[in-house]
Amino acid sequence: MDRHLLPEEIDQLLDGEVGFGTAPLKAHVRACPNCSAELESARVLVRELEHLPHFTPSLEFANRVMAQVHVFVPWHVALLDMVRAWAPRSRAGRTMAWAWAGSIALVFSVAAVFVLTQMDTIIFAAGIGLERVRELGMGALADVTTLVFGNTAAHAVTQAGSAGAALALVILLVAAALAARGLHAVVALPRRR
Amino acid sequence: MPLDLPNLPDADVAALARQGRESAYRELVRRYERPVFSLIYRMVHDRETAEDLAQDTFIKVLNHIDRYLPEFKFSSWLFKIANNVTIDFLRKRQLKTVSIEGSPHATTRADAEATSFDVRSMDESPLEEIESRELGSAIERAIAGLRPEYRACILLRHVEGRSYEEIAATLDLPLGTVKTYIHRARHALRDSLGHLRE
Repeated sequence: MDRHLLPEEIDQLLDGEVGFGTAPLKAHVRACPNCSAELESARVLVRELEHLPHFTPSLEFANRVMAQVHVFVPWHVALLDMVRAWAPRSRAGRTMAWAWAGSIALVFSVAAVFVLTQMDTIIFAAGIGLERVRELGMGALADVTTLVFGNTAAHAVTQAGSAGAALALVILLVAAALAARGLHAVVALPRRR
Repeated sequence: MPLDLPNLPDADVAALARQGRESAYRELVRRYERPVFSLIYRMVHDRETAEDLAQDTFIKVLNHIDRYLPEFKFSSWLFKIANNVTIDFLRKRQLKTVSIEGSPHATTRADAEATSFDVRSMDESPLEEIESRELGSAIERAIAGLRPEYRACILLRHVEGRSYEEIAATLDLPLGTVKTYIHRARHALRDSLGHLRE
């Protein structure tokens, strides 16, 4: 090569490009003090640039960003995270946790089997309980009906059974709603004037 | 078992963020707050503005994490947004990105003096003092004297270690243009710093 390197050729060497084209360039640099100095100067600059530090934003930067980021956490992810947070980190701890969870599961399984074998008794007890609740509800409704509509209406409700109770409840609710509306109208009247 | 976020690649952390894990969002901020802030700070030369723009960048990226395509580098996408946010700001404010010695476009000595500023003036606020210290070295001042597009290219190439192809994709420029900008930036920097080496 009977000339000095062009700026693009210096860049080529600087970027460490390989290929048959760079061999004569490298040979020239070895022989030419001028181009060698030029390349060295470029390398010094690149080294300086590569050693420029990163600047640090203020300590609250991440929190300020996160305050404006809308993170939607699906329930299954939240649940998994909670389990992960509670799970012990050591192998021994995890074994203990598994043993503990296993024994709890065993107790619940035994309890479930017991409940299933006693199903008839449970259904019978539940039926008695429900009947008692229904009687209490009917009694309360009859009391309210007596209070609002008198004894005749209360007697009719008791005679009609569940359908009568439901009808009475609806009538009570409608009456309450009409009363509330009427009161609201009365209160609003002076304001209109 | 807790997630080992610091050792996961960016694409995996971004995928976890897409699933709604706040810790993954924080990990992405932790990884890139310094590079993004540094790039913007060296572009706008004002700490407070740089922090606001870096904040905008992260908010845009993290609020649209569902748009991230895992086949591309997360950092390239992030730097692209950072660069766009910065360029928009520079355009809107028509900020004169002058060097400390004065505008590179100044044709006379008087013009250069008129557009220069003294980084160690007596009435510097503490923040300005920090800025002077941080950006006051010869090489920082030389970078400040470059045109914004050259500056973005040279910072991405040599401070962030990006390839020419990545820079082209990040800045939406043709590969040849990126090479030219970097070549010119290096040349300008060597010119600016030449007197220090003699």
